[in-house]
Amino acid sequence: NPIVLDLAYNTIEFPSIENRM
Amino acid sequence: PLEDLFTTLNRHIQASSYDNVVKLTDQILAISPDDDDALRCKVVALIKDDRVVDALSAIKSSRKHLDDFHFLKAYCLYRQNKLDEALESLKRQERNDETMLLECQILYRLGKMDACIDIYQKLQNSKIDNMEINSVAALVMAGRSS
Ligand SMILES: [K+]
Repeated sequence: NPIVLDLAYNTIEFPSIENRM
Repeated sequence: PLEDLFTTLNRHIQASSYDNVVKLTDQILAISPDDDDALRCKVVALIKDDRVVDALSAIKSSRKHLDDFHFLKAYCLYRQNKLDEALESLKRQERNDETMLLECQILYRLGKMDACIDIYQKLQNSKIDNMEINSVAALVMAGRSS
């Protein structure tokens, strides 16, 4: 079975917190 | 004050210093337990650090904000191979490119290749890089025909 790249991992990003600083 | 903590937090995020991100978010959450930004930063840092069990605990510890965390929860469950639970969690989230991509990876693991390929074809027109999508779709199709 080929391994599917975990592209979903790459879509997970930190939220923008610029307005909290 | 919170602003200073968020400034420091931002530095750790830029440096991909996930341990320190978790420490800072814990400090913020101690002061402001319902802070959505802090909780999201904590969960993302734990996931990026491959600590999906801790990420799930962090999500579950904050019942108030659970509605916004279905995608991240689904991703953690997927990593734990709890595929049916992952799909359930994903269904609670509005469908978008990211949820479709994760759905596809779950369906793949469940052996549902046709459904998986259907979604990859839909993702061709998404903002997600075509080359990445195509290489994965090719792998899935190769697996189906073998
Ligand atoms: K695309």
